Amino acid sequence: MAAVIITGIIILEKPLLSYKSDMQESLKDLNNKDAMFYPWQLNDVLNNKMQNVVLFDIRNDYDFSHGHIPGAENIQAEDLSDKGFFKRMKNLKEKNTTVVLYGNDQLQANGPWMLFRQVGFSNVKVLAGGYQYYVQHKDDLAASKTDSSFMEGIPRYNFAKMAAPKNGAVMNTSTEKKPVQIQRRKKTTVVSGGC
Amino acid sequence: MNKNYVFLTVLMFVLALGTLFFRETDKPEETAPEQLLWDIIRPNRYVTTDQVAKRIIQGDPSLEIVDVRNKDEYSRFSLPGAINIPLDSLLNKNNLLYFGVPGIDVVFIANDDIASDQAWVLTKRLGFNGTYVLKGGLNRWMETIIDPKEPSEEEPATAWAVYDFRRGAMMYFTGAKTGNVESSKVVVPIKRRKKTNVVAGGC
Repeated sequence: MAAVIITGIIILEKPLLSYKSDMQESLKDLNNKDAMFYPWQLNDVLNNKMQNVVLFDIRNDYDFSHGHIPGAENIQAEDLSDKGFFKRMKNLKEKNTTVVLYGNDQLQANGPWMLFRQVGFSNVKVLAGGYQYYVQHKDDLAASKTDSSFMEGIPRYNFAKMAAPKNGAVMNTSTEKKPVQIQRRKKTTVVSGGC
Repeated sequence: MNKNYVFLTVLMFVLALGTLFFRETDKPEETAPEQLLWDIIRPNRYVTTDQVAKRIIQGDPSLEIVDVRNKDEYSRFSLPGAINIPLDSLLNKNNLLYFGVPGIDVVFIANDDIASDQAWVLTKRLGFNGTYVLKGGLNRWMETIIDPKEPSEEEPATAWAVYDFRRGAMMYFTGAKTGNVESSKVVVPIKRRKKTNVVAGGC
């Protein structure tokens, strides 16, 4: 009898989610190329060549209704923590289905992607570049193989050069720039006043 | 023997035993996954380049900028006062001391915002509060603060106000103000007229 009560309590208290990977593993997992989903891989999904892939769009339903990746399902970010969704994720994992999360940009899906992987959903991937990159390149997704514009973490400018002191202390850049550039507004509309 | 002494001695031993169960450090508790997910989907960890620039210029002592890029990149360029904690070594004991200090806002920066966001999620899981992410990272810092784009004529006065601030910030961060010391020109602050749609014409 006591055993029944104790097991009952244990089952009751069991949290829905628990971390399956510790901090170090989670940190290492960030460099896991296999945890990413690249735009060119979408081609195979859209042509039904790659089965067993589910796309979840975590933008809000308004954005979703104004355009989304074909076949994607809308799970708004706020609904990610629904109990029903966790059950769904568990089912998908048992079926070995790859789950691809995407938001407007990669940043939006980054957090949820990390969390789902930390709690043991190793089948969850994040779409590199997010929806924005897809929309701009949907006609030629294969070209993304040689394109680095969606890659995250790379500097787009030569920071040191760009932010070098303009007084020539470090870099003797051209002195074209004056401290104050007065730029007068152009007249946009001709004022047609008069009597 | 006095009974009180016996009692006090026993009490002392009990309390001494109690100290054995104290934790070594007062580490914050790990955030539960559901709570962490809830924190993740709220966007209030993002700060803009303008906000950070303002705080640097004001010399805000409660701001701690943490650059999560590697050592090389950090040594070439970083924001003034930033410290370097590469993402790989984020979990080192000594590095964790920077987080969770009461009254200090830690802002993670990187080339863009993915690595800093990842650092945020990891520190949040460890239970640290008061950490933020520079949205757009250093790439956006260059676009907005170091090389601000002039708004077009049609844009509202607020866009011009932002632009004015960024011009000033650019001078602060690049030292452009001290560039033309030989010229005796007085720097005149330019105030732009606010746009009004009403054309005041007439005689």
